[in-house]
Amino acid sequence: MNELDLIDDFDLEFGVNAEKQRDRRVWVTVDREALMDVGRFLFDKGFEHLSAISVTDYLDEGVYELTYHLWSYSDNFLVTVKTKISRNKPAIDSVTPIWGESAQIHERELHELFGVTFEGNTDLAPLFLEDWDGPPPFRKDFDWRKYVKENYYDKENEREKHYFI
Amino acid sequence: MTGKAKKLRRLIKSIWVFNWFNSCGFTELVPVVGSRWDMERFGMIVTGTPRHADVLFIAGYQTHKSIKRAKRIFEQMPEPRVVVALGACAMTGGMYWDSYNTIKRLEDYLPVNIYVPGCPPRPEAVFEACEKIFEHVLEMKDE
Repeated sequence: MNELDLIDDFDLEFGVNAEKQRDRRVWVTVDREALMDVGRFLFDKGFEHLSAISVTDYLDEGVYELTYHLWSYSDNFLVTVKTKISRNKPAIDSVTPIWGESAQIHERELHELFGVTFEGNTDLAPLFLEDWDGPPPFRKDFDWRKYVKENYYDKENEREKHYFI
Repeated sequence: MTGKAKKLRRLIKSIWVFNWFNSCGFTELVPVVGSRWDMERFGMIVTGTPRHADVLFIAGYQTHKSIKRAKRIFEQMPEPRVVVALGACAMTGGMYWDSYNTIKRLEDYLPVNIYVPGCPPRPEAVFEACEKIFEHVLEMKDE
Protein backbone atom coordinates (compact mmCIF):
# COMPACT_ATOMS: atom_id res chain seq x y z
CA MET A 1 0.00 0.00 0.00
CA ASN A 2 1.12 3.49 -0.81
CA GLU A 3 0.34 6.60 1.25
CA LEU A 4 -0.68 8.66 -1.76
CA ASP A 5 -3.01 5.93 -3.10
CA LEU A 6 -4.73 5.76 0.25
CA ILE A 7 -5.09 9.54 0.38
CA ASP A 8 -6.61 9.47 -3.11
CA ASP A 9 -8.99 6.72 -2.03
CA PHE A 10 -10.15 8.82 0.91
CA ASP A 11 -10.78 11.72 -1.42
CA LEU A 12 -12.72 9.59 -3.90
CA GLU A 13 -14.80 7.61 -1.41
CA PHE A 14 -15.53 10.16 1.27
CA GLY A 15 -14.34 13.52 -0.04
CA VAL A 16 -12.05 14.11 2.93
CA ASN A 17 -8.49 15.35 2.96
CA ALA A 18 -6.14 12.84 4.48
CA GLU A 19 -2.66 13.90 5.38
CA LYS A 20 0.59 12.06 4.98
CA GLN A 21 2.44 12.39 8.26
CA ARG A 22 5.54 10.49 7.23
CA ASP A 23 6.30 7.13 5.63
CA ARG A 24 3.49 4.63 6.27
CA ARG A 25 1.67 7.06 8.56
CA VAL A 26 -1.56 8.78 7.48
CA TRP A 27 -3.87 11.03 9.47
CA VAL A 28 -7.45 11.68 8.52
CA THR A 29 -10.25 13.69 10.14
CA VAL A 30 -13.81 12.60 9.38
CA ASP A 31 -17.34 13.50 10.45
CA ARG A 32 -18.85 11.35 13.16
CA GLU A 33 -21.57 10.17 10.76
CA ALA A 34 -18.96 8.83 8.35
CA LEU A 35 -16.94 7.01 10.99
CA MET A 36 -18.53 3.59 10.51
CA ASP A 37 -18.15 3.73 6.74
CA VAL A 38 -14.54 4.82 7.02
CA GLY A 39 -13.93 2.05 9.54
CA ARG A 40 -15.39 -0.65 7.29
CA PHE A 41 -13.49 0.72 4.32
CA LEU A 42 -10.21 0.59 6.22
CA PHE A 43 -10.92 -2.83 7.71
CA ASP A 44 -11.43 -4.22 4.23
CA LYS A 45 -8.12 -2.68 3.20
CA GLY A 46 -6.35 -4.73 5.87
CA PHE A 47 -6.43 -2.47 8.93
CA GLU A 48 -7.63 -5.24 11.14
CA HIS A 49 -5.93 -4.19 14.36
CA LEU A 50 -7.47 -1.38 16.40
CA SER A 51 -4.54 -0.61 18.67
CA ALA A 52 -6.14 2.19 20.66
CA ILE A 53 -9.00 4.60 20.97
CA SER A 54 -8.32 7.80 22.82
CA VAL A 55 -10.35 10.83 23.77
CA THR A 56 -8.96 14.35 23.99
CA ASP A 57 -10.97 16.86 25.93
CA TYR A 58 -10.99 20.34 24.37
CA LEU A 59 -12.65 22.34 27.09
CA ASP A 60 -12.61 25.72 25.31
CA GLU A 61 -14.16 24.40 22.11
CA GLY A 62 -16.61 22.17 23.95
CA VAL A 63 -15.66 19.06 21.99
CA TYR A 64 -14.19 15.66 22.56
CA GLU A 65 -11.83 14.46 19.86
CA LEU A 66 -11.82 10.71 19.41
CA THR A 67 -8.74 9.17 17.88
CA TYR A 68 -8.70 5.67 16.44
CA HIS A 69 -5.31 4.13 15.74
CA LEU A 70 -5.55 1.44 13.09
CA TRP A 71 -2.72 -0.89 12.18
CA SER A 72 -2.30 -3.09 9.18
CA TYR A 73 -0.14 -6.14 9.80
CA SER A 74 0.26 -6.92 6.13
CA ASP A 75 1.54 -3.47 5.16
CA ASN A 76 3.00 -2.26 8.48
CA PHE A 77 0.92 0.84 8.07
CA LEU A 78 -0.75 3.09 10.63
CA VAL A 79 -3.85 5.15 9.93
CA THR A 80 -5.08 7.58 12.55
CA VAL A 81 -8.75 8.46 12.22
CA LYS A 82 -10.00 11.45 14.16
CA THR A 83 -13.53 12.63 14.74
CA LYS A 84 -15.12 15.25 16.93
CA ILE A 85 -18.21 14.96 19.09
CA SER A 86 -19.96 17.30 21.46
CA ARG A 87 -18.66 17.22 24.98
CA ASN A 88 -21.98 17.95 26.65
CA LYS A 89 -23.78 14.85 25.43
CA PRO A 90 -20.93 12.70 24.18
CA ALA A 91 -22.32 9.84 22.12
CA ILE A 92 -21.03 8.03 19.08
CA ASP A 93 -21.61 4.75 17.25
CA SER A 94 -19.67 1.84 18.62
CA VAL A 95 -17.09 0.26 16.33
CA THR A 96 -17.56 -3.17 17.93
CA PRO A 97 -19.35 -4.48 14.79
CA ILE A 98 -16.07 -3.94 12.93
CA TRP A 99 -13.27 -4.66 15.40
CA GLY A 100 -15.14 -6.70 17.97
CA GLU A 101 -13.67 -7.41 21.38
CA SER A 102 -10.64 -5.15 21.09
CA ALA A 103 -12.90 -2.17 20.48
CA GLN A 104 -15.21 -3.27 23.27
CA ILE A 105 -12.67 -2.95 26.06
CA HIS A 106 -11.36 0.42 24.83
CA GLU A 107 -14.87 1.82 24.63
CA ARG A 108 -15.72 0.49 28.05
CA GLU A 109 -12.75 2.31 29.54
CA LEU A 110 -13.53 5.56 27.75
CA HIS A 111 -17.12 5.37 28.87
CA GLU A 112 -15.89 5.15 32.42
CA LEU A 113 -13.24 7.86 32.24
CA PHE A 114 -14.88 10.40 29.91
CA GLY A 115 -18.56 9.49 29.99
CA VAL A 116 -18.74 8.86 26.24
CA THR A 117 -21.71 6.67 25.31
CA PHE A 118 -20.88 4.20 22.58
CA GLU A 119 -24.19 3.28 21.00
CA GLY A 120 -24.26 -0.39 20.16
CA ASN A 121 -21.69 -1.51 22.71
CA THR A 122 -23.40 -4.11 24.88
CA ASP A 123 -21.21 -3.90 27.98
CA LEU A 124 -20.21 -0.48 29.27
CA ALA A 125 -19.99 -1.52 32.91
CA PRO A 126 -17.30 0.18 35.03
CA LEU A 127 -13.89 -1.31 34.51
CA PHE A 128 -11.72 0.10 37.30
CA LEU A 129 -14.03 2.50 39.09
CA GLU A 130 -16.44 0.25 40.93
CA ASP A 131 -19.00 2.17 43.02
CA TRP A 132 -17.96 5.47 41.49
CA ASP A 133 -20.62 8.16 41.80
CA GLY A 134 -18.66 11.28 40.85
CA PRO A 135 -18.39 12.82 37.37
CA PRO A 136 -16.21 11.07 34.77
CA PRO A 137 -12.79 11.69 36.28
CA PHE A 138 -10.78 12.45 33.14
CA ARG A 139 -12.90 15.43 32.13
CA LYS A 140 -10.84 18.58 32.33
CA ASP A 141 -13.40 20.42 34.43
CA PHE A 142 -13.31 17.75 37.12
CA ASP A 143 -11.25 19.13 39.98
CA TRP A 144 -9.97 15.89 41.46
CA ARG A 145 -7.95 17.53 44.21
CA LYS A 146 -11.06 19.31 45.47
CA TYR A 147 -13.05 16.08 45.17
CA VAL A 148 -10.46 14.19 47.19
CA LYS A 149 -10.38 16.79 49.93
CA GLU A 150 -14.15 16.74 50.23
CA ASN A 151 -14.57 12.99 50.11
CA TYR A 152 -11.50 11.48 51.74
CA TYR A 153 -9.91 13.91 54.16
CA ASP A 154 -10.96 15.41 57.42
CA LYS A 155 -9.65 18.86 58.34
CA GLU A 156 -9.85 18.07 62.05
CA ASN A 157 -7.83 14.87 61.75
CA GLU A 158 -4.30 15.39 63.05
CA ARG A 159 -2.83 13.14 60.41
CA GLU A 160 -4.65 14.79 57.52
CA LYS A 161 -4.92 18.47 58.33
CA HIS A 162 -1.75 19.38 56.46
CA TYR A 163 -3.44 18.50 53.17
CA PHE A 164 -5.59 21.61 53.61
CA ILE A 165 -2.79 24.14 54.09
CA MET B 1 -0.73 -24.88 78.68
CA THR B 2 -1.08 -21.16 79.19
CA GLY B 3 -3.17 -19.06 76.90
CA LYS B 4 -0.15 -17.38 75.48
CA ALA B 5 1.64 -20.61 74.72
CA LYS B 6 -1.49 -21.93 73.11
CA LYS B 7 -1.78 -18.93 70.91
CA LEU B 8 1.88 -18.97 70.12
CA ARG B 9 1.61 -22.56 69.11
CA ARG B 10 -1.34 -21.83 66.93
CA LEU B 11 -0.04 -18.68 65.38
CA ILE B 12 3.67 -18.40 65.39
CA LYS B 13 5.60 -21.57 65.38
CA SER B 14 6.31 -20.04 62.07
CA ILE B 15 4.60 -17.14 60.38
CA TRP B 16 2.87 -18.08 57.22
CA VAL B 17 2.26 -15.12 55.00
CA PHE B 18 -0.24 -14.29 52.35
CA ASN B 19 0.68 -11.39 50.06
CA TRP B 20 -1.77 -8.88 48.66
CA PHE B 21 0.28 -6.38 46.72
CA ASN B 22 -0.73 -3.67 44.32
CA SER B 23 1.55 -1.82 41.93
CA CYS B 24 5.20 -1.86 43.03
CA GLY B 25 4.39 -3.57 46.35
CA PHE B 26 5.89 -6.94 45.65
CA THR B 27 9.04 -5.76 43.93
CA GLU B 28 9.82 -3.82 47.10
CA LEU B 29 9.44 -6.92 49.21
CA VAL B 30 11.40 -9.25 46.98
CA PRO B 31 14.63 -8.70 48.99
CA VAL B 32 12.88 -10.20 52.01
CA VAL B 33 12.20 -13.35 50.02
CA GLY B 34 15.56 -13.44 48.29
CA SER B 35 18.74 -15.08 49.54
CA ARG B 36 20.34 -12.11 51.29
CA TRP B 37 17.63 -11.52 53.88
CA ASP B 38 15.87 -14.81 53.30
CA MET B 39 12.67 -14.92 55.30
CA GLU B 40 12.52 -18.71 55.23
CA ARG B 41 15.33 -18.96 57.77
CA PHE B 42 12.74 -17.65 60.26
CA GLY B 43 10.18 -20.11 59.01
CA MET B 44 8.22 -17.49 57.13
CA ILE B 45 6.64 -18.95 54.04
CA VAL B 46 4.42 -17.38 51.44
CA THR B 47 1.30 -19.52 51.25
CA GLY B 48 -0.74 -20.16 48.19
CA THR B 49 -4.04 -19.55 49.88
CA PRO B 50 -5.25 -17.20 52.62
CA ARG B 51 -6.81 -20.17 54.43
CA HIS B 52 -3.35 -21.30 55.51
CA ALA B 53 -2.01 -17.88 56.36
CA ASP B 54 -1.43 -16.21 59.72
CA VAL B 55 -0.33 -12.85 58.45
CA LEU B 56 -1.61 -10.75 55.58
CA PHE B 57 1.01 -8.52 54.01
CA ILE B 58 -0.67 -5.67 52.23
CA ALA B 59 1.39 -3.21 50.22
CA GLY B 60 1.04 -0.69 47.46
CA TYR B 61 -1.84 1.73 47.06
CA GLN B 62 -5.23 0.13 47.45
CA THR B 63 -8.05 1.16 45.17
CA HIS B 64 -11.77 0.85 45.77
CA LYS B 65 -11.77 -2.17 43.53
CA SER B 66 -8.79 -3.95 45.07
CA ILE B 67 -9.81 -3.32 48.66
CA LYS B 68 -12.92 -5.43 48.16
CA ARG B 69 -10.74 -8.34 47.13
CA ALA B 70 -8.42 -7.67 50.06
CA LYS B 71 -11.39 -7.86 52.44
CA ARG B 72 -12.47 -11.18 50.99
CA ILE B 73 -8.96 -12.51 51.43
CA PHE B 74 -8.86 -11.28 55.00
CA GLU B 75 -12.19 -12.91 55.80
CA GLN B 76 -10.89 -16.27 54.60
CA MET B 77 -7.95 -16.24 57.00
CA PRO B 78 -8.32 -18.28 60.20
CA GLU B 79 -8.14 -16.66 63.65
CA PRO B 80 -5.86 -15.42 65.09
CA ARG B 81 -4.84 -13.30 62.13
CA VAL B 82 -2.63 -10.29 61.69
CA VAL B 83 -2.60 -7.58 59.04
CA VAL B 84 0.71 -5.86 58.31
CA ALA B 85 0.56 -2.87 55.99
CA LEU B 86 3.84 -2.10 54.27
CA GLY B 87 4.97 1.13 52.75
CA ALA B 88 3.78 4.69 52.43
CA CYS B 89 1.10 3.96 49.84
CA ALA B 90 -0.74 1.50 52.01
CA MET B 91 -0.61 3.94 54.94
CA THR B 92 -1.77 7.20 53.41
CA GLY B 93 -1.96 6.78 49.67
CA GLY B 94 1.67 7.90 49.42
CA MET B 95 2.36 9.74 46.19
CA TYR B 96 -1.25 9.04 45.21
CA TRP B 97 -2.57 11.05 48.15
CA ASP B 98 -4.70 13.20 45.82
CA SER B 99 -5.98 10.44 43.57
CA TYR B 100 -9.74 10.08 43.36
CA ASN B 101 -9.60 6.31 43.45
CA THR B 102 -7.13 5.22 46.12
CA ILE B 103 -7.78 4.34 49.74
CA LYS B 104 -6.39 6.93 52.12
CA ARG B 105 -7.12 5.23 55.43
CA LEU B 106 -6.61 1.51 55.26
CA GLU B 107 -7.77 1.10 58.85
CA ASP B 108 -11.30 2.05 57.78
CA TYR B 109 -11.44 -1.15 55.74
CA LEU B 110 -9.23 -3.69 57.46
CA PRO B 111 -8.15 -4.05 61.11
CA VAL B 112 -4.50 -3.20 60.51
CA ASN B 113 -2.21 -4.39 63.31
CA ILE B 114 1.06 -2.88 62.18
CA TYR B 115 1.99 -0.18 59.71
CA VAL B 116 5.55 -0.33 58.44
CA PRO B 117 6.48 3.04 56.93
CA GLY B 118 8.98 3.54 54.15
CA CYS B 119 9.06 3.71 50.42
CA PRO B 120 9.88 0.88 50.35
CA PRO B 121 10.36 -0.37 53.93
CA ARG B 122 13.73 -1.94 54.61
CA PRO B 123 13.74 -5.74 55.00
CA GLU B 124 14.96 -5.27 58.58
CA ALA B 125 11.84 -3.23 59.31
CA VAL B 126 9.64 -5.99 57.93
CA PHE B 127 11.34 -8.55 60.15
CA GLU B 128 11.01 -6.27 63.15
CA ALA B 129 7.32 -5.90 62.46
CA CYS B 130 6.96 -9.66 62.39
CA GLU B 131 8.87 -9.91 65.64
CA LYS B 132 6.46 -7.45 67.25
CA ILE B 133 3.66 -9.89 66.53
CA PHE B 134 5.15 -12.18 69.19
CA GLU B 135 5.13 -9.41 71.78
CA HIS B 136 1.45 -8.72 71.31
CA VAL B 137 0.24 -12.23 70.90
CA LEU B 138 -1.80 -12.18 74.11
CA GLU B 139 -3.90 -9.26 72.93
CA MET B 140 -5.01 -11.16 69.89
CA LYS B 141 -8.46 -12.58 69.52
CA ASP B 142 -8.73 -16.33 69.85
CA GLU B 143 -11.65 -18.35 68.57
